[in-house]
Amino acid sequence: MPEKKERYQNRIELLQGTLDLLILQTLQWGPQHGYGISVAIRNRSGEILQVDTGSLYPALHRLEKQRWIKAEWKVSENKQRAKYYRLSAAGKKQLSRELSKWSQLSDAMAGVLNPDET
Amino acid sequence: MIFWRRKTHETELDEELRTHLSMAAQTRMERGVDPEEAERAARREFGNVGLVKEATRDAWGGRWLGDLLDDTRYGLRMLGKNPGFTAVAMLTLALGIGSNTAVFSLIDALLLRSLAVPAPRELVHISFGPPGTKGPLSGPMFDRLRERQSAFTDLFAWKNGPMVLTEKDAARPITGAYATGSAFPTLKLKPRLGRLLNWQDDEPDASSNGIAAVISEAFWIEHFDGDPRVLGQPITVDGGTATIVGVMPRSFNGITVDYAPQVVLPFAFDVALRGKSSCRFRASCAWFHAMGRLKPGVGFAQARANLSTIAGDVLKESLPSNYERVDYLRNGILSLTPGHTGNSPLGEVYGRELWTLQALVGLLMIICCANLASLELSRTLNRQHELVVRSALGAGRLRLVRQLVAESAILAFAGATAGIVLSQWMSALLVGYIEQSDFPVFLDLRPDTATLAATIALATLTVILAGALPALDLTRVHTEEMLRSGAQRTVARKRHPFAASLLPVQVALSLLLASLALLFAISTGKLLRMDPGFRVKGITLFGVDFERRPEKGEARLDLHRRMLEALQRAPGVEAASVIAARPLGDGGMDESAAPVEGNGPETRHLFENVVGPGYFQTAGTKVLAGREFSQFDRLGATPVCTLNEAAASFFFPRQSALGKHVRSTEPNAARATCEVIAVVADAKYLSLREPAPPTIYYPYEQLPSFNWVGFITRSHDTSAAVAAFKNALSRLAPDTPLLPPITMQRQLEDSIGKERLTAALSLFFGGLALLLTSIGLYGLESQRVAQRTAEIGLRMALGAQGKDMLWFILREAGVVFAIGVPIGLALTFAASHFIGALLYEISPLDPRIHFVTVLILLGAGFLASFIPARRAMSVDPMVALRYE
Repeated sequence: MPEKKERYQNRIELLQGTLDLLILQTLQWGPQHGYGISVAIRNRSGEILQVDTGSLYPALHRLEKQRWIKAEWKVSENKQRAKYYRLSAAGKKQLSRELSKWSQLSDAMAGVLNPDET
Repeated sequence: MIFWRRKTHETELDEELRTHLSMAAQTRMERGVDPEEAERAARREFGNVGLVKEATRDAWGGRWLGDLLDDTRYGLRMLGKNPGFTAVAMLTLALGIGSNTAVFSLIDALLLRSLAVPAPRELVHISFGPPGTKGPLSGPMFDRLRERQSAFTDLFAWKNGPMVLTEKDAARPITGAYATGSAFPTLKLKPRLGRLLNWQDDEPDASSNGIAAVISEAFWIEHFDGDPRVLGQPITVDGGTATIVGVMPRSFNGITVDYAPQVVLPFAFDVALRGKSSCRFRASCAWFHAMGRLKPGVGFAQARANLSTIAGDVLKESLPSNYERVDYLRNGILSLTPGHTGNSPLGEVYGRELWTLQALVGLLMIICCANLASLELSRTLNRQHELVVRSALGAGRLRLVRQLVAESAILAFAGATAGIVLSQWMSALLVGYIEQSDFPVFLDLRPDTATLAATIALATLTVILAGALPALDLTRVHTEEMLRSGAQRTVARKRHPFAASLLPVQVALSLLLASLALLFAISTGKLLRMDPGFRVKGITLFGVDFERRPEKGEARLDLHRRMLEALQRAPGVEAASVIAARPLGDGGMDESAAPVEGNGPETRHLFENVVGPGYFQTAGTKVLAGREFSQFDRLGATPVCTLNEAAASFFFPRQSALGKHVRSTEPNAARATCEVIAVVADAKYLSLREPAPPTIYYPYEQLPSFNWVGFITRSHDTSAAVAAFKNALSRLAPDTPLLPPITMQRQLEDSIGKERLTAALSLFFGGLALLLTSIGLYGLESQRVAQRTAEIGLRMALGAQGKDMLWFILREAGVVFAIGVPIGLALTFAASHFIGALLYEISPLDPRIHFVTVLILLGAGFLASFIPARRAMSVDPMVALRYE
């Protein structure tokens, strides 16, 4: 299966837990459906981050179960019925927690990788 | 996740993913890609839809429940699609589990279950007798022991015995028991109603204000309609009257496993009834089944040590003065055994046979498991394609295994349920074999926690063995490889080593079970057909209890005479006489005698029987020389006696015993010497398995103080004799309780109850084993033929003959037997050690037995593999090849 291998070569595997952060961050700009979220992440990362549907949908359903996001069926711009997810109040708090955790992590990573800058 | 909401979630997920795909395709089309290509690309990017769904469902949580439901539903559907397999598998399980549960529940009831009292482990039995025996204590022995012991909170004594309940002049037999006043407090029992017996009830002067009695709950409900006003009611038992003061709890049925007393009385009742002749205070009367409860903190070993320090003094003070002369008393010691399971005479008799049967049904269970496993395996083999497709569609391996296990679990559950139902029926059958006619056996066979736990463990084990192992093995499939080769059925599937190794084991175990069954059956057949020295057909024995008749002495003898006359004259009765010791009954009398003339040895222990005129003719025992007792052998006439051949040749070897004299050496013998008037053939009074004991017969009319005689009749029809006896009794001695009559046939069968039990059950289990193995073999060979249809077709197309193909299949069965039969024979020889003692006049190594069993097994095996082999023979090469 050559094309499959190719697909995976250009992809950066997402760190454990970062997908939740990406989804919550994406939904901050407004309700979005699953496909929209995956396109948004891909576009904003400059085509580098490709979210696997096999990870995206389980994550969406998990976040919904944790009540950080809410889902409702709406009609899209293309007159298609789609399931839209939006951030809940608890989700907003979770997002800020995750963001601070992430900035701590990236600071720490940067410190390790570029010791002279600090 | 609540499962009824699952459906909505499922459709929503479907729609959500479909939207995703169509949007992705839409985006591509907007970029100018043609619709078909766009859709394909979107699909490729998306990946395996089934897998995504699976992963998303995982996020829902509570998934196992939904999966379980799915598995169950799917499993039920798959089982329903294959009713033949399902029926055979369920039947196999039900039979295996049913037989195991039935035998185990009997073992549990007789040997394992604790008495329903608080802290049963603290209870111990105290018994007296020569080392190795467990006999009862005498009253004085118990009293001295109770005074001196320091290891027990208290001791109590118990004595079971049939009693006669008299109500409004009607008498009927009931089960009764005597207990010391300490019994219920020591057992720590709480009453169901009223109060239980205590020490005051058992005081010697207790009779002055009425003696107390307690009754069982079953008797209370059945006889008094569960009326609480039963308290204070009088009850007349064995001619004495007591007052009911309480009802025992339902769970307590006395201290003997197979005997449930309906009425329990204090020993004071017997003292009040019989006065000085009561066994309560007599040293020569060993009556008491004694038990004690260990003091808290006192261990069994400590109690035993305490007992051994006081035993000498206790025995010195309590043995009768003549104990030196009686072996049993001289060698007697006091011993301690654990008592939490209570007393189980039946368990002692049947223990070895029951464990043997348990071992047999255990082996049967292995065969059942092996059968199930190979059935399951061949079915899974057939479903390999289905499994491959399912795994290609995204089912995880664990999920597949779980599916297969779920099917086995459904089977196990259904099989266990059917097995428990079957075991109830089989238990009843088992008890029927054990039951003696004198008194119904009381056995609580309701499956308790232990039995149910054992059944569930067995079923679970079966599931693991039969379902999961093959599943694990088979789900290790290489999806692509299988998909590619799925259509090419000529690729002979590798022989499955697991399945192949099961059949020889089954064959070996079946051979073992069949050999044992044949051995037990032949041994029991020999016992049943042997000549016991008396007639069996047409003989009926009647017990009679004239204790409470006013006639005593000569008048009593006359009552017997009139009864006998009435019986002899009754229509349908060919002959009748009087008999004391029933052949093969429980009892018997010992007598020591010495010849007066003759040169035989000094004394000899004899079996003694007391009979009436015409006894030998009635019983069918041959009179070899001399004459029968007649009505003229009465008190005042010359004391006479009859010897059997064994006794005659012992006392008077190589000479005629007729006219010689024999002197009784018993201290309290009624008469010193008697003249031998006849020599009769040996008859087996004690046991069919042992040679007839040397026996002496006395005429009952010369022993007027001897009261315990019954009647024996010979008739074409038992009911005629029973009617005649009833008629005579009601006319000559009304208000005498009618004890259940017993035919000699039944008496004989009862006496070899355990042999019959072992034979009948091992035959049943052996047959079952044979059947199961045949089914297993048939299943496997059918499967092979089905799998190799193409190969066989090809071979036939290339010129192979039908008989070659027959041989081709039979050869495989031959290999199974070539491995299984020697193992089975080796197992049988190994087992012969353990069963030799259970057999009568047949060696467990008898080559004829093994020859026959191997033949039977080969026959069954040939039949089981011949049917599929015939199918192989009739394969049409064209059809088989076109099938590709």
